[in-house]
Parts: sequence; structure tokens; C-alpha cells
Amino acid sequence: MTEQLRESLSALMDDEANELEVRRLLGQLGEDEELRQTWIRYNLARSVISGQPVGRLSMDISQQVSAAVAAEGAPASGVWQRMTRPLASFAVAASVMTVVVLGGQQLYQASAPDAAAPVAATGVSAVGFVNSLGAVPLRASYGNQAIPELEPAARTAYRELARQRMYLYMQEHAEHAALNSPQGLIPFARVPHIEE
Amino acid sequence: MVITARSLLHALAVHVALLACLTTAPSALAAACSDTDTKALVWLAKMSRSYREVAYQGVVTFQRGDDLQVMQIERSVDAGESHELLTRLTGQGAQVVRAAHPLDCTHPGQQLLQLGEQALAPECGLAEYYRFQVGDGDSIAGRQTVRIGIQPRDMYRYGYVLELDRETGLLLRIITLGRGDQILERFQFADLHYGEPLTPQRHVDTVHPARHPHPDLVDEGAALTAPWLVNWLPRGFTLTDSAAAVSARRTYTDGLAVFSVFLEQLPREMRPGEGVARQGSTTSYTRGMSLAGNPVLVTIVGEVPLNTARMVADSVRLVP
Repeated sequence: MTEQLRESLSALMDDEANELEVRRLLGQLGEDEELRQTWIRYNLARSVISGQPVGRLSMDISQQVSAAVAAEGAPASGVWQRMTRPLASFAVAASVMTVVVLGGQQLYQASAPDAAAPVAATGVSAVGFVNSLGAVPLRASYGNQAIPELEPAARTAYRELARQRMYLYMQEHAEHAALNSPQGLIPFARVPHIEE
Repeated sequence: MVITARSLLHALAVHVALLACLTTAPSALAAACSDTDTKALVWLAKMSRSYREVAYQGVVTFQRGDDLQVMQIERSVDAGESHELLTRLTGQGAQVVRAAHPLDCTHPGQQLLQLGEQALAPECGLAEYYRFQVGDGDSIAGRQTVRIGIQPRDMYRYGYVLELDRETGLLLRIITLGRGDQILERFQFADLHYGEPLTPQRHVDTVHPARHPHPDLVDEGAALTAPWLVNWLPRGFTLTDSAAAVSARRTYTDGLAVFSVFLEQLPREMRPGEGVARQGSTTSYTRGMSLAGNPVLVTIVGEVPLNTARMVADSVRLVP
């Protein structure tokens, strides 16, 4: 897995990958075992966060991957392809979007015995952070420029948690807001990606 | 896959009609009502009823900062039930459907708004928490409107500017205002036709049937091992549904604002702290803390100021 692909994967998770990056990632997923494994870990972590059974999710992943790759591979001709392709890309992007690469263990107390070890082994921390890329507290998605990290790690991690939780809980919140605020179904417009 | 809205409504009608209706009555509040308050409350009640009873279709925009979404809304009324459809026309091709919702089914948020119908009595409901102004509004989607300015009386909620159709009371524009009247979010109709919708075919790849929480059914949400409670709420907020004591979520409304509280039990101690993310009028506030020795993560997601979220998170307790 090249550095460039890592960056693309990271951008994809933040929903900031451009069309070209998404296409390149999808092309590589079929061939690059390491890349595929990393991606599956992200999705596993996501299933842990959302409390979904892991078995079901891994099936979804393979289906989503093949569907997305098929859509990407289809020859672009006519309005239909132009319309559906970005949507397929987006569906893939969204399926890995909630998980972020960040040193999640930073939040665990230094005093907690062997806190880091099991986390590093599974790649999934208790609060759903994934550390498969080696605890890089950077968003590698603003072009190719790394952003210098100036804030204390815990504060950054908590802000990231709040962002993830907003993504995770927004739809459930909208279900209730839609019945109890004057705008009807409009609260669903606040959901970044509506799931069935 | 192309799914017509009509076939969908048919498919879902059977499913959703099985759910009966939630009718938790919020407590009535007594206060002296000014003329303006009364006028505003009567309009809000009319808005709440029109939203359920009027059939229409239209195109709406939803703006938060630089982000502008365009959606189609359809609503039909048939045999005492309403059918609602929201289709995203920009971004994700998704559709949200609420089929076969009984017209006499009112949820706590709507009940709070409809208290104004009894505003001729000394009940003043929302006017305890908000100041109202009533005046002429802009013309929106070709309709004449009445404008209701709503300012919070305390620091725990946002302000709003509502514009309602003068004839039907339908909400045509709502602007959410933060501190210093900063515009956080704006929803408005661009195009509106009353009458039964024509339901043109649109390409969507996600169809979500909106849920209808019910007190007698097992909550489909996650459950925790320990019962918990929220010890403090801003005045006027009430539970939207009867969530179980171990339910991982509670949702509260004052009729205009809604927020949800989520509790996660953590397997081990985490460095205490808080994090905030904001989008439009939505605040996501996450706090890692320990409740009676149990490490938890409390998250508030909702259309309330940060301070409200922080105070609510502060008040979360495990039931001993």
C-alpha cells in the first residue's frame, strides 16, 4: 500500500476524497490485499461503534465493494452512468466515513494497565477509534499538505469523537425530531448520509 | 434501481399502519398571556395542524453555512392518514418516507404547539420560554405569509423566524438564530403547489422509512446494562417518547427545539474531557466521565446551544 493510497483512504473516510482518488482506490481494492484489509478494519470498527453484528457487516462490505467496483468499471456513456457513478462512489465513501484514523488510546489513562497493547492488537479501541495506520493524529486530507498538530492530543481526540458521534447519532436524533418539531421530515436533511 | 414513490407508499403502508399512535400529553403550563403571545400561539397551533392536514408538494432549500441542499417534499392525505415523502435532489440520492401516519396521532412536540389553541384560556405554554412578535412576512413561493419572530427568554435555546402561509398556516420558511442573531440554518420553500402530489419518478438509491417510536413496543435502539436518568432539563422540555430506563437514548423537545442524549458504557477508564462539533444549528457535545465508578461517554446531539448540551451532560446519573 503506497503512501498516496493511504492518504486517499484517509480522505475517503473524511468524505474529502475527490472523484479521481475514489476511482483509484476502488481500482486498487481488488488487487491490494493490505489496502483491502485496512479498509475492512475501518468498517469493522464502524460496526463496533454502531453496535451492528460484525458478521453481517463483513458481508455488506464485500457486496458494497463489488457493487461499487462494478459501477466504477462500467463504461461511461449516457446520462445514466454519469448520474449513478458519483452516487456509487459516495456510497462507498460513506460506508467508511464514520471511522477516523487517530490515536484513540491517547484518551485512555496512562495508569490503566496494558491499555494500549490489546487496542493496538485489534486495531479497535473501546470508543471506536481505529489505529491501524499507526496513531497519526493528522487529517491527511487537505491536499498533500500535512497539518501541524498544535493542540493537546486529548483535546483533538475529543473533538474528533464529537464529530464522529454527530455522524453516528444524527439519524436516530432526526427520527424523533421529525415527529416533534414543526418542519416535518426536514430534520432528515441534517443527516449526512441517510441509511435504510 | 428506480422505485416509484407510489409503489413504495403501498409497500410501506402495510408495515407502518400496524403501529398505533403515541399520545403522551405534556403537562399544561399556566401563565398570563399578552395579546401578541396569544396571536403567535394561535398561529403556531394552526401551523402544527396544517402541517399534518394539508396536502401539497414543493421544492425546499435547506441551508447551513455554505452548504445548500435542495429537496422535494410531498404530502398527501387520504382516509384519515397522511403520507409524507422527502427526496434529496442534491448530494445523496435518498428518500425518506412516512406512510400511513394517522392524522389524529400527535406527538409531544406537536401537542406543545397545539396548546396555543386553548390560548384563549390563561394557558400560555411556549410564551413562558419565548418572546413572540407577529407581523407581515415576505412573499415565499408566491404565497403571502405572516412572520413570527421568536426569541428565547433564557440562554438554553435558539431563536427563530417563522413565516407561515396566511391562508393555510403551512410553515414556508424557518430561520434558526444563534447568539447575536447569527443565522445558523435556513429552510424555505422555493416552489409550492397545494393538492394531491403527482409523484414524478426520481432516481434514488436509498429509501428510508421513517420510524415511529411507540411506548408499548420494545425500543429498537441499543440498551445498556444500567438504568440512567437526566437530572436537569431546561424549563419546558419534555420526553418525546417513553424510552426505557436502560435505553441508550433519550430525546427531549420544547415544541420548537429537539435534542437527544446518548449514553455509552466504556470498558475502561478514559481520560476525562469534552469535545464539540457543530453544523448549522446542530451541536454535538461529547463528554467522557465516570458515573459512580463506571466510565461512560455522554453525547448530546441536537438543535440547542452548547451550554445547554454541557449542562444536560453534567446532570446524567446512573440510577443506583
